[in-house]
Amino acid sequence: MSEHTSDETASDAMGDTGSDATSGTVSEVFADATQMAGTGEVMIELEHVDKLFGDFKALSDINVRVGKQEVMVVIGPSGSGKSTMIRCINRLEEHDRGRIVVDGTELSNDLRNIQEIRRETGMVFQSFNLFPHLTVIDNVTLAPRNVRKLSKRDAIDMGMALLEHVRIPEQAKKYPGQLSGGQQQRVAIARALAMKPKVMLFDEPTSALDPEMINEVLDTMKDLARDGMTMIVVTHEMGFAREVADRVLFMAEGEIVEVGTPEHFFTDPREERTKQFLAQIL
Amino acid sequence: MTNAVTWARRNLFRSPFDAVLTIVFGIVGLFIIHRSLNFIFVTGRWDVIRVNLRLLMIGRFPDTHVLRIAVTVVVLAGWAGLLAGLIRARQVRAGRVDVGATRLSWRRVSDVADRLWLPAFVVLLILMLTSTSGPWVMAIAAVVAAAIGRLIGPYVGRLPLIGLPGVLLMVALAVVPVILFFYVVSAVGFDEWGGFMLNLFLAVCSIVLCFPLGVALALGRRSTLPLVRVVCTLYIELVRGAPLFVLLLLANVALGFFIPSNLTPSTATRAIIVFTLFTAAYMAEIVRGGLQSVPRGQIEAAKALGLSPVRQMGLIVLPQALRNVIPAQIGQLISLFKDTSLAALAMGLFELLEVSTIITSQGDFRGQGLIGETIAFAALLFWTVSYTMSRESQRLERKLGVGTR
Ligand SMILES: Nc1ncnc2c1ncn2[C@@H]1O[C@H](COP(=O)(O)OP(=O)(O)OP(=O)(O)O)[C@@H](O)[C@H]1O
Ligand SMILES: [Mg+2]
Repeated sequence: MSEHTSDETASDAMGDTGSDATSGTVSEVFADATQMAGTGEVMIELEHVDKLFGDFKALSDINVRVGKQEVMVVIGPSGSGKSTMIRCINRLEEHDRGRIVVDGTELSNDLRNIQEIRRETGMVFQSFNLFPHLTVIDNVTLAPRNVRKLSKRDAIDMGMALLEHVRIPEQAKKYPGQLSGGQQQRVAIARALAMKPKVMLFDEPTSALDPEMINEVLDTMKDLARDGMTMIVVTHEMGFAREVADRVLFMAEGEIVEVGTPEHFFTDPREERTKQFLAQIL
Repeated sequence: MTNAVTWARRNLFRSPFDAVLTIVFGIVGLFIIHRSLNFIFVTGRWDVIRVNLRLLMIGRFPDTHVLRIAVTVVVLAGWAGLLAGLIRARQVRAGRVDVGATRLSWRRVSDVADRLWLPAFVVLLILMLTSTSGPWVMAIAAVVAAAIGRLIGPYVGRLPLIGLPGVLLMVALAVVPVILFFYVVSAVGFDEWGGFMLNLFLAVCSIVLCFPLGVALALGRRSTLPLVRVVCTLYIELVRGAPLFVLLLLANVALGFFIPSNLTPSTATRAIIVFTLFTAAYMAEIVRGGLQSVPRGQIEAAKALGLSPVRQMGLIVLPQALRNVIPAQIGQLISLFKDTSLAALAMGLFELLEVSTIITSQGDFRGQGLIGETIAFAALLFWTVSYTMSRESQRLERKLGVGTR
């Protein structure tokens, strides 16, 4: 899977979408957020999405496409709507206008349809949200057994394999409260992966961690990206964005301000607001 | 000796005020202890208990069918032992208890002794007061049955028990008490039961029934369906607004207005219904508190995994909610148990407290003011059961790790 580097996929995207971005400079490749990277097939599509909290417009006219196997990093100041956007994708928040399509299925109010999209979409939260009354292995196998209807034995085999993958098989029988933050977040990643999702959504997965634990979680996420998982990652870890992202998306006040390759973002951002934000955090 | 003196000086006589307190409370305490011991060993006339023991324990249960109670007690003991062994084995299987903890060791023996000494002591006390050998035989048989059940349990628990066999076993275990109930009640109607047995039975039935009802009411009160929500809220608030005693009286008197007399349930059944409905309203509020204590992130994580709403509730929210409120729940159940003593005054049932007062005015004991002895005995029984429930709830809490995460 090593061919999946950002440079190649970026040029793939150019060719596949056949858009007007042929003129060449990197900063123009992703002039708007609907031009994806990845394999070129659309995995997630948001069209004219608005989200209101009462009178407050948390998202306004969001248009994004994320390609299969693409890694998109979302950045932006606090309150800019990053969480709200990815929570709309699996219906933890209900959008008020526009369309959201995940792997060809449009999100509607039908519970069956919502469940179907949630099955295909894994989510990792800032505060882990592991189930404290269940052991680590039970946390991981709960959904496969109850939603995917795997047998207990198959679920445990798969769960253990996933725990190996996130490098903590020896913690399987412990309770979440007995693990460090970094370990808990890796369990949370394994739990989401156990549903064999096609997309993973990460909402600031390392923000609640002590510095020395951040890397173990980021490494797990890098492994995932390398294996070709489609990912949307809200994060302030610019190193991760630079290394792993195909595209970076900058949001402010509920709008998409700028999209581009990491290279574009960190060398030559176009918008004034982007420059200000990057100056603050870099 | 000097140690004791320094300890006393430091803890009891640090200042003049401390000294006064120590002396006053010391004298009051000694006086109370003296009077109590005097009552128990010297002035108390415990033959009133000895003579009426059977009335106190099982009321006017007919002689011809007493054997059924004994059989029930023995089978229940075996059943409980089996269940305990089975649960233990399942926990070991699931890796929740390490195998080392199942071996016989001093710690386990002292643990069991610590749990059982009080009920065992009271049972022994009662046995000492009996004049026949029947209760002894029953008690010994019950202990043996419990031990056998406890020994067999783990073997049953170690079977795979997936799918149909597991379900069948669960059903079989659940059905045992029900069969025993019909075994007894088919011989002697409910309203002829009495004594402490009746208190226990009223409490156990109401506890078993009020729990699911309380959970259902709590969920109903949080339902998104307005009608369900309004009905549940109304019910909870109405019931909590009425004294239990009034509800018991109502069930006794008012039910006749609505239901033809040949269809009205027996008095004891009515008592169970009232206790259940009453406690369920309180349970509902306790459970609702528990539901609110589960962080929103838990539901979000469950949703994100694609769990259905029923599973979100049943697998994630409820287990945590119920755990978080174990102390309050058990408190409510203890209170229900003690309230069964209202059943006599309100409904004319022949429960323990009623027996305790009646026997002081019967036969040889009339007019001798022995109410102190009989009430003390009743209090001991109530307290023993309540205290044991409270201890077990603390154990359960520790075991489920509330507060340690
Ligand atoms: N449930 C809610 N009710 C009302 N307003 C909300 C709700 N959730 C979010 N908001 C508002 O919507 C806006 C966007 O919130 P969101 O959590 O998406 O921001 P964010 O970009 O993720 O910020 P952060 O970096 O702090 O996590 C904020 O102004 C927030 O106050
Ligand atoms: Mg956020």
